Amino acid sequence: METQTVYIPKLMPKEEFFMPGHRACIGCGEALALRLVCKALGSNVIVVNATGCMEIVSSQMPYTSWAVPWIHTLFENTAAVASGIEAGIKSLNSKSKKSLEGVKVVAVAGDGATADIGIQALSGALERGHDFLYICLDNEAYMNTGIQRSSATPFGAHTTTSPAGKVSMGQFTWKKNLPAIVAAHNVPYVATACPSYFKDMMTKLQKAASIKGPTYVHILSVCPTGWRCATDITVKIGRLAVQTGMFPIYEIENGKYKLNMDIPQLRPVNEYLKLQGRFRHLSDDMIKKIQERVTEDYARLKERAA
Amino acid sequence: MVKLTIDGREFQAEEGKTILDVAQGNNIYIPTLCYHESVAPYGACRLCMVEITNKRGKKKLVTSCLYPVEEGLDVKTDTPRVVSVRRMVMEFLLARCPDSEVLRKLGDKLGVEKVRFSQEEDKNKCILCGLCARACDEVVGASAISLVNRGVDRQMATPFFDASATCIACGSCAFVCPTGAIKCEDIGDTRKLTMPNITQEFRLAKCKACGAYWAPERQVDFFVKKSGLTREEYELCPDCR
Repeated sequence: METQTVYIPKLMPKEEFFMPGHRACIGCGEALALRLVCKALGSNVIVVNATGCMEIVSSQMPYTSWAVPWIHTLFENTAAVASGIEAGIKSLNSKSKKSLEGVKVVAVAGDGATADIGIQALSGALERGHDFLYICLDNEAYMNTGIQRSSATPFGAHTTTSPAGKVSMGQFTWKKNLPAIVAAHNVPYVATACPSYFKDMMTKLQKAASIKGPTYVHILSVCPTGWRCATDITVKIGRLAVQTGMFPIYEIENGKYKLNMDIPQLRPVNEYLKLQGRFRHLSDDMIKKIQERVTEDYARLKERAA
Repeated sequence: MVKLTIDGREFQAEEGKTILDVAQGNNIYIPTLCYHESVAPYGACRLCMVEITNKRGKKKLVTSCLYPVEEGLDVKTDTPRVVSVRRMVMEFLLARCPDSEVLRKLGDKLGVEKVRFSQEEDKNKCILCGLCARACDEVVGASAISLVNRGVDRQMATPFFDASATCIACGSCAFVCPTGAIKCEDIGDTRKLTMPNITQEFRLAKCKACGAYWAPERQVDFFVKKSGLTREEYELCPDCR
């Protein structure tokens, strides 16, 4: 649990770089996450933004919500464009003295653009060791195109391409463990975070931005539209995701795991599932199955972090 | 609006802003330790020194965190004079706190190769910038810590070096401390606040519903006093409310 939530916000950066007026849905957890990301990283960045919710809502012609340099890329080449920009900065710096020194390249992509379509480019960029920060805003499906399943959709969730009914029981596979895939590239820093725990998230982002080399931050962002939940409980659902162990927050520094949130007793997953319409159809058996898997995964993570 | 030049680039700035505000807003690097945007500038660390040339052509060194912008001001952040002054300041700071990783990193960045002064034996990381005391006073409103004594005896301390009666254990001082001289950690049901002169322990309040420790007892008392609500309103943690 975060115990310093009253005075620390007053000491956080005040300037906004993701401006209001964008077209995100009511209660969007992803817009909240992105706003805090921009705050934490400051203005000395170049943002590479994959197609997805945050690209669509923030850049409707002729407006923009971005107060920092920003480029829109396709789903599949976010990491490739980011590595290109980083190489360009390097080249400019070697030609003229410190013209672009200290500029951080930040790639922002959704879970579909990271876990499904863009994973090849991401893997390549991580392997080549470019100095960039990759942020995955994970809302657990392709929300922008109308809630289709992605490989980051959790087991049992209803989406339009994994519907719940007589034949299908919602998403039939388990959520892809993306941080572990990234960590397998031996990158210096990998972390998971949730905007409900803003201090933890912002310190992780600042840490990731200060490290030279490829770094990765996976952020769970609650999507009331796609998750079929009330719009006023975005932050609460994010907290429950962490406290039930559905989305544990941890960091992997040079291969060393560290759990950031000390949760003595995991809450039952049902507390998290019952608030969301996408899990409404789940039978007791399936909830039990999810609970078992979550407990097992969390125990394994705890073992690694020990 | 006034016009000024920083490192040859022209900027327009609102009157009343400082040179540091303008420079940071345009990503011109000026090193700082004691500056924080949420509290009033203080000019303690002297690292943000820049060279200005005013309208009459007079050159002088000023702290950019305190110097308000003027019409026609010409600011240079990387002249040899500025660089050497910053290095000297950094050497003094490193002689005082050789253990601080933040200072050593910043020293490397500023090009300090060797510290010529004898290094302090007493290994605390406090550089006496007073940022903790200012945050405690201006942001929290508790005024539990301050800088005491003068000259070489100056120290950051609680009143009379004793456990502070007004400290609410919020941890803001540890959060803003630029060198990590103050540490705040939660161990079970206590919060340990380690300061250069004293280590204090505070009890944490337990949530009635989930049993998690969510805030220091002192802080809850502070809320009760400030809000005028009853103690019962604060029995649950934010997650259970």
